[in-house]
Amino acid sequence: MTLQTEFDVVIIGSGAGGSPIAYQLTLANKSVLVLEKGPLLRPQYDAPDGKSDFKRDELFSTGPEKRIQLDVVNRGASYYSSHIEPDINDEPHVYRTAEGGDKATIEGYTAQVVGGGTQLYGGVSYRFMARDFRLQSANQGRTLEADPNGDVQREARDWPVDYDELEPFYARAESLVGINGQVLGQEKDFKGKDQYQKPLSPNPISAHALEGMTQLGMKAYRTPLAVITEDHASSGRKGPLNEEAKTAYVNRYGDPLGFKSSTYVALLIPALRRPNLEIRANCTVTHLECQGSRVRKVHYRDPGGAERVVSGKLVIIACSAIESVRLLKLSAKADTQFDAAINQDGNGMLGSYFLTHCFGGASALVPAPERYDKSLTLDSDYSTDHCAVDDFLDENKLWAGAAIYNNTSDRALPLALGRNFGSRDLDTVWDAFVDASNLVGDALDDFLKRQFGRGLSMTFMANQVPQKSNRIELHPTISDKWGRAAAYIIKDWHPHDVALMQRYAAICGQILQRGGVTEELGSGGVYGKDVLARCANHILGGARFGTDRRDSVLDPNCRAWGFDNLYVTDGAFMPTSGGGNPTLTIQANSFRVAEFLKTVL
Amino acid sequence: MAPNDQYVLNWATRHLARAPGPARHNYGQFQPDDAGAQFCEGWRFPIIDTSAKGVDENDVTFVWLDGDTSTTEVKLIGTFPSLFEPIALEPVSFGTEQTRYRAATFSVPKGQVHRYLYLVDGKPMPDPINPQRFIADTGHVWSRFFTDSCAQPLELERWEVQLLTRLTAHILPFRTTGGQNFLSMFHMNSDRNTRDTQYADAFRLDEPIGVVNFIDKLLARQERHHLADYKICLAQMDAVLRRRHASTDPASIPKGAYEDLYAELATNQVAGWDYVRYQEPAYFLKLLRRHTYTGAFSHPRHGGNAGAAGWAYLEETYRDANGQSAFDWSRALEPPLGRNPTYRG
Repeated sequence: MTLQTEFDVVIIGSGAGGSPIAYQLTLANKSVLVLEKGPLLRPQYDAPDGKSDFKRDELFSTGPEKRIQLDVVNRGASYYSSHIEPDINDEPHVYRTAEGGDKATIEGYTAQVVGGGTQLYGGVSYRFMARDFRLQSANQGRTLEADPNGDVQREARDWPVDYDELEPFYARAESLVGINGQVLGQEKDFKGKDQYQKPLSPNPISAHALEGMTQLGMKAYRTPLAVITEDHASSGRKGPLNEEAKTAYVNRYGDPLGFKSSTYVALLIPALRRPNLEIRANCTVTHLECQGSRVRKVHYRDPGGAERVVSGKLVIIACSAIESVRLLKLSAKADTQFDAAINQDGNGMLGSYFLTHCFGGASALVPAPERYDKSLTLDSDYSTDHCAVDDFLDENKLWAGAAIYNNTSDRALPLALGRNFGSRDLDTVWDAFVDASNLVGDALDDFLKRQFGRGLSMTFMANQVPQKSNRIELHPTISDKWGRAAAYIIKDWHPHDVALMQRYAAICGQILQRGGVTEELGSGGVYGKDVLARCANHILGGARFGTDRRDSVLDPNCRAWGFDNLYVTDGAFMPTSGGGNPTLTIQANSFRVAEFLKTVL
Repeated sequence: MAPNDQYVLNWATRHLARAPGPARHNYGQFQPDDAGAQFCEGWRFPIIDTSAKGVDENDVTFVWLDGDTSTTEVKLIGTFPSLFEPIALEPVSFGTEQTRYRAATFSVPKGQVHRYLYLVDGKPMPDPINPQRFIADTGHVWSRFFTDSCAQPLELERWEVQLLTRLTAHILPFRTTGGQNFLSMFHMNSDRNTRDTQYADAFRLDEPIGVVNFIDKLLARQERHHLADYKICLAQMDAVLRRRHASTDPASIPKGAYEDLYAELATNQVAGWDYVRYQEPAYFLKLLRRHTYTGAFSHPRHGGNAGAAGWAYLEETYRDANGQSAFDWSRALEPPLGRNPTYRG
C-alpha cells in the first residue's frame, strides 16, 4: 500500500488557522490531510511511552547560542531559538532595516510543530471588539492624532464579516478549544452565553494590577486563557487537580501535560479518532500547481526530503501569514498560470498590508518587602477593555482600541530573569546581562534580591495602521535550506501608531502607579534594537479578505479571488490586526469558513 | 529496542533534511571541509532523552542518514551495550514509504560517557552527524556521547577547571557569607546517598554548584564553537596570574587577584594579555557570564546546578512578606528531583 494522494481537503499548517477546518471537515466525513512542516510532539497522555517531547526545562525555551551565517548586515550575530522555532540559518526571515541594509531576525516566527503557534503561546484568547471589524466606518470624519494626511481613513478597511456574524464561531471556538475566563467586565456581547471554564486563582502579585485598574475606573475581568481548568469533554482531556496547571513553564513552552489548549490536543487528537483524518508531520510544502482556476497539485518534501505530490478538492493554506504569503509567491514564481490567478488584476495586493500589532506596556517592581512566587501562575490574570470603547477613543483621538492585561509569567524563572534583563526583543536576549559586568557576587545577589518575584508588567495589544508599503516579498538572494527564496519583510510604523503606543504605554504605567507599583517603573511602545523587526509574534495580513477583488486577495470566505478551490485561513486574511491577541479570532474565522466549505464539498 | 519512526523523524527532519548546498552551520566548531557543518545542531545526535525505563536511564537514539550512494547495511559498535556485538540500525519509515534514515535506540545509564563507531557495509567510521570525537591512545578516532548529569571532565584540564572555578565563584552570589553558609548547610543536610549520587558530580570538580561541569559539557556539545575561546583565554589568564604571583599556583592565590583580573577583563585592558592571540578578553568575559549564570540555574540534567543547589538557594533566600518561599521550583518538576505527581520529565 502506498501513501494516499487524493483527498477532499489538503490543509497546509496545523495551527489556529488550519486545525478548526481539519476538525470540522473530518467530523463531516470528508477525507482530510494536514501537512505540517514541524514535528508531532505529544503530551504525556498521548505519547506511546507516556513521556512528552515537551519539557519543563528553560534550555528548551531558549537554547544555546548559534550565529547567523547568512549574507546579511548582522552576519555573525548571536541568536537563540526554542527547540521548535525555525533555525534562522536554515529558514531565514530577513527584514529591511531603517538604514537600508538587510538583517536576519528571530522575530516573526511562530512555532513549527503540530499545533503551530498554539503550542508555544501564552494562551491569551480575546474576542475582538465589535468596532475592530469596522474601523473604516468608525473613523469616518474623525480627527486623529498624528495623522495629518488622513492615512487612517484612507487605508482602514471594514471586515466583510462583522462581530455578530462571527459571534457564534467565537462561542464555538471557546467551547471546543477549551478556554478559561470571565464574561463579566468585558465590553463584548456574548449573547447571553458563557462558554468559559472557571479561572484558577490569580497569582497574588496581580492584585496590584487589579487595584490600579479599579483606581482608574476601569472594569477588569479575568484574562481568557487557552488552558483548561476542568475536564474538557470535546477533547477528552482531564482537568488539572489542585491547580497544577499553574506553572511558569507556559509562555514559549509546549505543555507536557496537555492542559494548555493547543490545537493539537483540543481539536486534532479528537478528530484523529476518526479514520478520515491524516496528519503528515515533518512535511514542507514547496509550491502549489494549478490548472486554470483550480489548484491541482500540492508539492511537498517528505521527512527525508523526497519530493511528493498530493491533491485535494480544496486546498487550505494556514502556515502563518509570512510563510503563507511566501508559499503563494513561490508558487507564482514557479507557475505562470498560478501567478496570473493569485495576482489577479495585477493589483499588487498579495503580500501587501502586512500587519502585526502595536504593542508595549509598562513594567516595575512591587513595593518591598512584597515578593511573590511567580512560578505559580498562568500567563496573565487581569484584563480591561477600558481603552477599547468609543468614548475613550474619541477623547484620545485614537483610531482603534487596545486590550490591556497584566503578565504574570514573565521573569518567573531564573534563566528568564537573566536573559531577559534589559532585553526588549528576541534578537537581544542575554545582551544586557552579559554587558552588565558589575552584576557579580554581592551585586548579582542584590540584583536577584531586587528582582526575584517582584516584577509586574502591563501589556497593551492594539491595531496597527494598515499601509500598503508594509509587505512580504521574496528575498532576491537569501534562500532557505531547500534553496527556496526566503521571506523578506519590509515594514515601518505610521506616526499614528507611534502616538497610539505612547498613549497606551502611559496608561499601562498609570495602572501600575495607581496599583502602588512604582519602583524602577518604565514604559514604552514597541522597543528593541531595531523596532522595524518587532512582530509580537502576531503575524497578520498580506492576503487580506474583502468584498472588492481589486482591493483584496481573498473573498469574504477566504477563497483566493482567482481560484475556485484555494483558501487562506491563518492571520494573513486580516485587513486590520484587531485590538487584542489574534489567535481566538483566527480560530473563530476558521470555524466560520469550515461551515461554508461543508456546503461546497 | 526498536525506535519509534515518528520520534526519529521528529528530530531528523528539522536537523538533517536539506538540499545539497553550502554549509550553513559552521561558526568555528568545524574544519572548513567538515560535512557536519551542513547539519543544523548536529550535536543533538545521538538523541539523549528521558527514558520510560526509569529515572536513572536515558534513551539514546542513533540516527544514520543515507547519502546518495546505496548503502546495504549500517551497524553500530560501541562501549554500550557491548563492544563486540555490532547491532544493526533499522530503516525508518514515513507511513508506508522508506526514508533515508536508519536508527537504533538503547537505554544507557545517566552520568556516563561512551564511544561508538558505525560499520557501514562493514567499514568502520565515526558518526558524520555528531561532532563529538574521542581519539584513542591508538590514534583511532571514535564518536563520543554522554548522558544526562554527566560529571566526567571531557574538554577541560584540571588546571583549567580550577581556574574557572575561581572565576565563576567570583561571578555567582554563592561566595557571599550567606551563600557560603547556605551551600555548606545544603550539602551537609543532604543524606549520604544523595551526596554520593547527585552531588558527587559537583565535588569531583571541586566546586559546589557544578557550573564548571556545566561549561565543560556545553563546550563538548552545544557550544563547541566556543571551546577555542576558553582554551586560549584560560591559558592567557594562567600566564598572567603566574607572572603576577610567581611563587603561587593560580588555584591558590587570594581571591583579590581574581577580582582584579575580572575587572580587567571587563574593561578589555588586561596587563600582560597577548592581544595578538586574542583581541577581546571582554568578549570572553561575556561568554563566561552567560555560561556561569546558565549553569547555576538550569536543569541539573545539563551538568550544572548540582542537586538543584542553585534553585534551592533561590528558594531559601527569597521569601515573601509572610516568610514563604518565592520559588517553589520543585512543585513543577519531575520526581525524584521535583515533587510533581504527574509530570514525568
